Amino acid sequence: MTDPEKVGPTALGKMVLGVFVLACLGIAAYYFRDLVAPGGRGTGLVDIDQFRKVEAPDTKGITTVNEYNYVAAEKLPPVKGVSAYKWDAQGKVVQFPINVWIGWLPIVAANHGFAPNADSVFAKEYGFKVNLKLIDDPVVARDTFAAGESHILWGTLDMMVLFTPELMKDSRTAPRISQQVDWSSGGDGIVVRGAIHSVKDLKGKTIVYAQNSPSQYFINNLLLNAGVQPSAVSHKFTATAFEAAAAFVADKSIDACVSWAPDIYNIPEKVAGTRILTTTAEANKLIADVWAARADFAKDHPEIVKGLVAGIFKGMEQLQDTTFREKAYQWMAEGYGMQADEVRAMSEDAHSTNFAENKGFFLNANDPANFERTWKNITFVYRELGLIDTPARFDEVMDFSAMKQLDAEGTFAHQKDEYRAQFAPTTYKKVSAEAPILTQTIRINFYPNSANIYEPQHDEGGRPVKNTLYDPSVGATLEKVARLVGQYDRAVIAVVGHTDSSMKGKGTRYEDVKLLSMDRANAVKKALVEKYRFDANKFTVEGAAWDVPAEADDPMNQALNRRVEVSIYPPEAK
Amino acid sequence: MSPSAEAPAAVSRGGAAAERRRFLRIREPLPAWRAWVLGVIPILVLLAAWWAVTSGPTPEERVISPTILPSPVEVVRSFPSLWFDRALTRNLAVSFGRVIAGFAVALAFSFPLGVLMGSFTKVKAAFTPLTVFGAYLPIPTLVPLTLSLFGAAELQKVAFLALAFSIYLVPLFVAAVDAVSDTYLKTAYTLGATQPQAVRKVLLPIAWPEIFQAMRLGFGVGWSYILLAEMVDVGRGVGGIIITSQRRGPREHIYLVLVIIVAVAFVTDKVWERIGRWLFPYRETQR
Repeated sequence: MTDPEKVGPTALGKMVLGVFVLACLGIAAYYFRDLVAPGGRGTGLVDIDQFRKVEAPDTKGITTVNEYNYVAAEKLPPVKGVSAYKWDAQGKVVQFPINVWIGWLPIVAANHGFAPNADSVFAKEYGFKVNLKLIDDPVVARDTFAAGESHILWGTLDMMVLFTPELMKDSRTAPRISQQVDWSSGGDGIVVRGAIHSVKDLKGKTIVYAQNSPSQYFINNLLLNAGVQPSAVSHKFTATAFEAAAAFVADKSIDACVSWAPDIYNIPEKVAGTRILTTTAEANKLIADVWAARADFAKDHPEIVKGLVAGIFKGMEQLQDTTFREKAYQWMAEGYGMQADEVRAMSEDAHSTNFAENKGFFLNANDPANFERTWKNITFVYRELGLIDTPARFDEVMDFSAMKQLDAEGTFAHQKDEYRAQFAPTTYKKVSAEAPILTQTIRINFYPNSANIYEPQHDEGGRPVKNTLYDPSVGATLEKVARLVGQYDRAVIAVVGHTDSSMKGKGTRYEDVKLLSMDRANAVKKALVEKYRFDANKFTVEGAAWDVPAEADDPMNQALNRRVEVSIYPPEAK
Repeated sequence: MSPSAEAPAAVSRGGAAAERRRFLRIREPLPAWRAWVLGVIPILVLLAAWWAVTSGPTPEERVISPTILPSPVEVVRSFPSLWFDRALTRNLAVSFGRVIAGFAVALAFSFPLGVLMGSFTKVKAAFTPLTVFGAYLPIPTLVPLTLSLFGAAELQKVAFLALAFSIYLVPLFVAAVDAVSDTYLKTAYTLGATQPQAVRKVLLPIAWPEIFQAMRLGFGVGWSYILLAEMVDVGRGVGGIIITSQRRGPREHIYLVLVIIVAVAFVTDKVWERIGRWLFPYRETQR
């Protein structure tokens, strides 16, 4: 019975109508799902060979010119408007935030503690004071820098790559990087579970690390170099490296973590079945700690920036005295609210870079691990991951004017670069007994039966054509290898040549093929040693002839088979 | 008749008129449209101030640098990239799901506990120290603890939110049951009600609207903790968007997400209010 007073649909009618409307909405939402709920821009498939396109073909071959000859200010973005940082012209106190990291020991030493004081090297020799303050959170450090509360921003070069595009929106807060304070040297590392022996074993596994941190750069750089698609790995992100280590320990479904000392060394001792895959003790020129000054501050006070650079170098010299070093540990411990023993325990995490090493980093265009290459490599990794759209150029942030002045003055000419690993000659057999940390496969198009990587093109009569290259991208390919080899300055590198098997069973002698593959490996080694000045003993070469196809399930893919593989092995005495 | 005898009356009459003309009057009735207008004015003032400190022909001429605070226009313009590149809707859905899951888990624990504490003095005596302790607990310090107990995945976030919710909800539930007048209980006892019956048939039904109100208030708390919960496994959720934007920009997204969280919380609160009116028509739940 329905109420005669009521008009409109019945309860059932309302329900049917409701379901119909909901269904329509649902279908519409599904149809327009990419508009309503887009999936975001993450990591799709990365063109790992993209690297070749990043740089113009290098037809010059081996270059000898190695110092940048432009003036830094020509490339740095000009500072506009009125300077906007807090500054007391009488007191002259530079606000310099730092994080908990042993790499800051030289500046703590030079400053005689954290608080501004008259005894510091800066006050005595350069006429200004430095206030070191502990700001461990990079976001807070960045915000005080942007607000003009601090004049300096601490960070690794990879963090600077991420911060720079935003900070450059205002020409006054654009970062000016004038000095590298250290290389991470054992401070960062990757801990794995179970049967992971090489980076390529991470395929299909779950890794955890702090997002937007050196950890992210470290692991993704390795994945890309090993030819593993980052999307072939499940990434879990934490806010800090400490949380990454805690998550790895707590959650058995996570196969690897990227974290910091001391966690990376404590985990393998305490958690059964875990081991260190690699650390920056091997990849000892990968993560660079630097500081940047606000552009307006650097413009107004170039002498203070130069004084900071020089004072930190002086601090490094003073630290060679062991009693003074103990004092510096004590100052650092007080500033961090730690015990001196805890600070001393961190002393192996980083290697302070002196003037000679900074000169190589900032001024030597041929150094395989210089500022430019490190910056470009980070940019490459982060752009491929979809983390940045429009990265800044390296010469928009790299300000070597202080370094050039100090070089001209010769103040630190006595400091020598002693951070070069020494290698004894070794054999491939010995080196390859263990699994490599990672293997990078490169393709150089060799002219048939030639082992010259700079082979020119040939005309129809078989005569070489001048100023051409048979493989025009050979320069970029070598550059890719050089960067990886440069990052792994302490590791041993095996270069293995492979040929295709097109002449197998057609009367070709195996020995000849073997020799050709060996010659090709040697050619790559020779080119690397000559162009980038690597120690020849760092490399061991091997010719594998046609024995090892690139892909076991597709052995006749000859284009893939003609290749050179570059493997990174841990140094023998660990 | 002395003038002094007249004067007080005149003052009091004039005073009443003045009271009516006065701009601010205690508990004066206000038409809805005027309430709305009054509510919009501060928002406009705030927007104007925001615009004023972030406008200028070049970034360097602004009062506040764009590296600290982008202008309102820039924030609005960054919406498409938030929607498409950072997958706003999906992340919002993920965060919303976590809040609901954490809330459900929290209810499962805190509702029985709260009702028992409100009803039975001994239970209350036993658990009050814990709830007081909880009220003063700095919740962010629990993140690493939940991490080591529950791992880094979904469970940890739900557990963390549930913990935060419970700490907030239990005292409110206790207060709701406490507030039930003794008169009802005495009447029930007179009619021969047993202890469990008194809880089920008297305390609970009378406390329901207050309990519901507590749930409504508590649900909002989740949104302020979601950022902390999403510090770990930052990949998904609106907390992840904020953390990512802080590190690699654009800064506009930080402010945009804050506005969106407020908007979502507002709409959710309205839904709670509607449900409240439908469930308890006899009680005005508007607050």
